Amino acid sequence: MADRRGQRQRPMITKNYSSSSSTKSHKPLNPNSNTRIAHANKSATVNSGNEDNIDEHQDIPNLVGTCPFMCPVEERARRERLRDLAVFERLHGNPAKTSSTLAVKKFCRTISANNVQASDVRPVSVLEDTLNYVLNLLKSDCRFEVVHDFIFDRTRSIRQDLTMQNVTNDQAIHIYERMIKFHILSHHKLPKCGSPDTASICHLNMEQLTKALTSLFSLYEANRAPDSIYKDESEFHSYYVLLHLCSDNQSESLSLWFRRVPFVIMKSKEMCFARRILRFFRLGNYKQLIYTTEAEASYLQYCIIEPYISEIRALALSCVNYGGYKLQPYPLAHLSKLLMMQESDLESLCVDCGLQMSSDGTGKVLLSTKLTSTCNPKRGYQKYCEVVSERLERLAAEVSEL
Amino acid sequence: MVENYSSFIQEFRNWESAWVLEALCVIAHEIRILAERADKELASIGKTPEKLKGAGSFLMKVFGVLAGKGPKRVGALYVTCQLFKIYFKLGTVHLCRSVIRSIETARIFDFEEFPVRDKVTYMYYTGCLEVYNENFPAADHKLSYALTLVYNENFPAAEHKLSYALTYCSPLKEANISHQLLLELSFYAIEKLKCSLEGSEIGEGLIVIYVLMYNNVVLALKRGDLRLLRHALEEHEDRFLRSGVYLVLEKLELQVYQRLIKKIDIIQKQQDPNKAHQIKLEIIVKALKWLEMDMDVDEVECIVSILIYKNLMKGDYSALTDAQDTEEVIKLG
Repeated sequence: MADRRGQRQRPMITKNYSSSSSTKSHKPLNPNSNTRIAHANKSATVNSGNEDNIDEHQDIPNLVGTCPFMCPVEERARRERLRDLAVFERLHGNPAKTSSTLAVKKFCRTISANNVQASDVRPVSVLEDTLNYVLNLLKSDCRFEVVHDFIFDRTRSIRQDLTMQNVTNDQAIHIYERMIKFHILSHHKLPKCGSPDTASICHLNMEQLTKALTSLFSLYEANRAPDSIYKDESEFHSYYVLLHLCSDNQSESLSLWFRRVPFVIMKSKEMCFARRILRFFRLGNYKQLIYTTEAEASYLQYCIIEPYISEIRALALSCVNYGGYKLQPYPLAHLSKLLMMQESDLESLCVDCGLQMSSDGTGKVLLSTKLTSTCNPKRGYQKYCEVVSERLERLAAEVSEL
Repeated sequence: MVENYSSFIQEFRNWESAWVLEALCVIAHEIRILAERADKELASIGKTPEKLKGAGSFLMKVFGVLAGKGPKRVGALYVTCQLFKIYFKLGTVHLCRSVIRSIETARIFDFEEFPVRDKVTYMYYTGCLEVYNENFPAADHKLSYALTLVYNENFPAAEHKLSYALTYCSPLKEANISHQLLLELSFYAIEKLKCSLEGSEIGEGLIVIYVLMYNNVVLALKRGDLRLLRHALEEHEDRFLRSGVYLVLEKLELQVYQRLIKKIDIIQKQQDPNKAHQIKLEIIVKALKWLEMDMDVDEVECIVSILIYKNLMKGDYSALTDAQDTEEVIKLG
């Protein structure tokens, strides 16, 4: 089976690779490498387990999609009939009319293995076009939650099509990378939308982010060639570390994960940054965590770190409150410099933490109370996580293409 | 061959007594070794190495047969250990969980009644798992248990394991126990290791590796030498990462700062008793600069406040105010 799959994928690699991979490493792909294909087989199993339990599709040999549109014709007709069209899919706003350039295949949880037809599955090149199309919607003026909801579902369906066809080549890697970037960006943007069910949307987004990231790592592993890594592989590994700064017992611990990561990646610039952030966070070194983030984080790295920043700021307040010298109140101006936040924001954070302040003539000061219980450093302080930084603002402005 | 074994297991299931247990253990061992070799072979000719995985699920069945009541249960831990070895090799350690649960919840059989050999191996692997999950007290308990057994039983084949148990055990001690005590423990451990391995060549090699890996870490902790800690971690980074202790060792940083500040205090007291228990943050910055660690007063202040907050140091500190004449000091309580 491994060999057959190898033959099937070869034409696709040669056909589309160069045109689609502007941001990818130019690692030569050697289609004759048996080892590579054997690995691919292994990882595909791992993959499908992660991707929404569609492992029954493993049994379908050689499924190659033939659907030339973003949405199979049959599904399009059905959803027109059922008026099941997303805002972006309606032709001239008509809830019962769409077109081949608007409709995008929905994610469907229960597809039974028997009745998957090649005409319902999109080949890789179509999947790439579909991804381009849906990610482009980020530029629309629509509310972010609405766009997110649409892209969230349709990218999931793209991943499903990839898994069904067992595609593990460079194109698949690139597709996964872009989808993960979307999820990270959403992780950053969603809490700021202020819709009532933000918490659950964020949770679902995080779930897909972790799943996609795990699948991506299996894809990297399946395509591993000695002495070479993909251009963005280190960056994506750093996301994983940053997502796991807090050690919860739910997922695999970082100690265990580090055992498997290739040493080259561990020593890469991006990973060294993430590992330093990890050290600062676990140590409680609030000053360095914030300063290093401000100076070195890529924009997507910052998107992941940001929620932790309010946490570490609250910790800083606890420390100052607990350890500060009683007779000499702590100047807020100094603290606002250490924590890189506006003094006014810091003041309201202090109030939220139940800390006392007073004025000493030259400026506001924090009164030390030696109480440990005043602060409650939980992640509820969303509004206190922004870092005052021109560099990060500039990076945010530059992010447009995914 | 697996088929043959399967029918053997079938038979074994039906027997009341456990007289073939030894043979079964041999089979379990052989099957793992064979599968490992087969995988190596398969990988070299470009096929998917899946035999070890298969061996894992087969042994899981064997475990099922043994894990019940009665005399057969004595062998369950042996098979468990074989399973651990497989799962650690394959990187699927989450699979250990169900086996562990089955061993630890069984009240019918006292853990102490298992053979020593298996108890050591079991405690070693579960201890490692606790390290990965950052559950240090439990890890310390399990690894110490394994170590003590090895010492007491004094059996030579376990030298290997002893040294590995030390790999995990000593950083835990370093992180949890006050460092004076830990130093004694570490040196005690090294001494013990030397004694128990005396005369054996492999043993010497292991000591050298162990001492090399940890000596500088321990020394850094003893001296409060941050630079040495960083270098020690960097020097054996790959090895520490592979064995899963890197992040644990990294946590020692706070203890190193603690030691450094204590040392500064002692020296200052000797020079000028009036200044006892009062350290300018600037002095700490200088000390760190001397160690080629570039840190500004703000960061040192941050470290100090964390040390106090985490109760690693008693005292309070004051920050720089706008008035230039006030200096930042820590007052040690």
